[in-house]
Amino acid sequence: MTSLSEGASPNSDALPMLQMDLDIQDFCSDWSHCDLMSGYLARMVSHNRLDSLLFSNLYSSALNELLETVFRTHGVNGTLHCAVQRIDNRDRIELVFPVDDATYSIYHEAIETLGREDAETQYLEALFADREPDPNLGLLELGVDYGAKLAIERRENGTMRLVADLRLEDKTE
Amino acid sequence: MIADGMAPSFDWSFNENDQEFSLTGSLRPQRADELSGCLSELERSVSGVSGKFYVNVRRLVRMNNVAFHTFACKILDLVRGRSDLNVHVTTSSVVGWATRKFAVLETMSDQITVSEYDSEFYPGQTFLEEGGFIPILRTQTKLTWHHERTMLARHGLEPEMQVADICCGIGDFAVLLQKEYQPSRLVALDHSRSSLDYARKVAHDFGVRGIDYVFGDASDMLLESDQFDFVTCRHSLQVFDRPELILKELFRICKPGGRVYITNEKNSHCLGEPRSETIQRTYTEVARLWSHFNMDIELGPKSRRYLIEGGFEDIKMESFMVTNLDGNPQDFADIIQSWEDVYAGQMAVERGDSAEEIKAFRQGFQDHIFAALHPKGYAGWPIWVASGRKPQ
Ligand SMILES: C[S@@+](CC[C@H](N)C(=O)[O-])C[C@H]1O[C@@H](n2cnc3c(N)ncnc32)[C@H](O)[C@@H]1O
Repeated sequence: MTSLSEGASPNSDALPMLQMDLDIQDFCSDWSHCDLMSGYLARMVSHNRLDSLLFSNLYSSALNELLETVFRTHGVNGTLHCAVQRIDNRDRIELVFPVDDATYSIYHEAIETLGREDAETQYLEALFADREPDPNLGLLELGVDYGAKLAIERRENGTMRLVADLRLEDKTE
Repeated sequence: MIADGMAPSFDWSFNENDQEFSLTGSLRPQRADELSGCLSELERSVSGVSGKFYVNVRRLVRMNNVAFHTFACKILDLVRGRSDLNVHVTTSSVVGWATRKFAVLETMSDQITVSEYDSEFYPGQTFLEEGGFIPILRTQTKLTWHHERTMLARHGLEPEMQVADICCGIGDFAVLLQKEYQPSRLVALDHSRSSLDYARKVAHDFGVRGIDYVFGDASDMLLESDQFDFVTCRHSLQVFDRPELILKELFRICKPGGRVYITNEKNSHCLGEPRSETIQRTYTEVARLWSHFNMDIELGPKSRRYLIEGGFEDIKMESFMVTNLDGNPQDFADIIQSWEDVYAGQMAVERGDSAEEIKAFRQGFQDHIFAALHPKGYAGWPIWVASGRKPQ
């Protein structure tokens, strides 16, 4: 179901990146895929960190929230492309997946909220809301709690690209 | 690297005696209703409790937003409905995300408090961390390495093994081991951030690569089971009030057929000539002082019993004496001076010893230094090395 490739990244100062492609419907056939994939990738990228155990734990948590978000909110057909790379002391996670207008707007809204001054308040409100959690809660958490820089981009071919830049090591020490 | 084999699934338990509800493992449900069993148990537990209710998430390694949202709202509900109830959440700093995440609960209600557990559980930690102990630890390792370098092979260490040094301190032993035995993997774990910072800096400055310095609690490690060929734990069982808990963890992470190697002291057997009597008296007092703080600096010769009772087989044991003749006698003297500073200058003071008692206590250290530097003198510090194999 997946194809995994490893190779030099196009970015010259980045370490080799790891990439996984899988059919979005396969991915969404089982919730546990989010956990398995984030655990697996976290292990693969945790070598040579200040504290590999702590890093892998934080990385897995962050990536899992992204994957769970995509699991809940995506377009119908196509491929989920997941690439991770290390650029200096940042870790970049890139997800490309199918979207339609409705699903894209959920991501768009999250990014907008994160750009606002009261992002933290918004996040806490969502976190303690009486209703079911909003589908974009994971994104808000990444932006506020993990201090991730998030960016999205809609593409011609019915997909969108979500990029999360994380600095996990600064925060852990 | 997180222990998938160890914390794969989610579990909970309630300890009535401690009024403590514990969540463990990995908690990433798709829907809130998957947690209903746990939530009703939580509710039931709380209903029988008054005053303080503890929620322990120290072993909760992973938790997604669905789970956090569900639990956080439940806990808020509980305290809002019961003004007599206070909830205290205990997190672990080792898990990384947990303290930050749970801390927001405190902002939601003043009936909820959150704290990190592991800051204060090992009795001697502050003495060692604040005592300016680092240079002395280096000297100690230099002198003990002189003996252990070859001894390690007798206890089964070979090149290319997967090795863990638990309670690695400032990491200098790991560096020496790395150079001498070239393990294929070397994890060095400690619970002191300042020691690990130092260890990483030294490794970086010395261009040593490949040692994985990891922050963790030796009595409750997040390392997977059955993965190391050789596990070392030096001078550390003796600083815990319950060494058997650490040993259990060393056993767990060791591969079947692999070996666990421990070193410990028996300080009352430190010796010197001349002035043997005052020296003897002081070190007998050192043993008492440590036990006052629930640590057993006399553990060395008990290693065999601990290993047998811990389920190990093929136990090997030997002892060696670090002496003033191992190198520069001043190194030996420096070690003793630092012991005096910490034991007499801090620990005895904290125990409430009188000035007179402390003066007599100090004398033995000074005499030990005298013996070490004396042209015809001899001064020794005995250490017991023991290892055992984990059954196949
Ligand atoms: C006496 S020192 C020995 C250090 C080193 N092995 C050596 O021989 O120099 C004890 C070490 O145990 C560490 N330690 C204490 N409690 C710990 C715990 N719960 N988990 C991991 N390490 C701990 C301390 O930070 C300290 O570095």
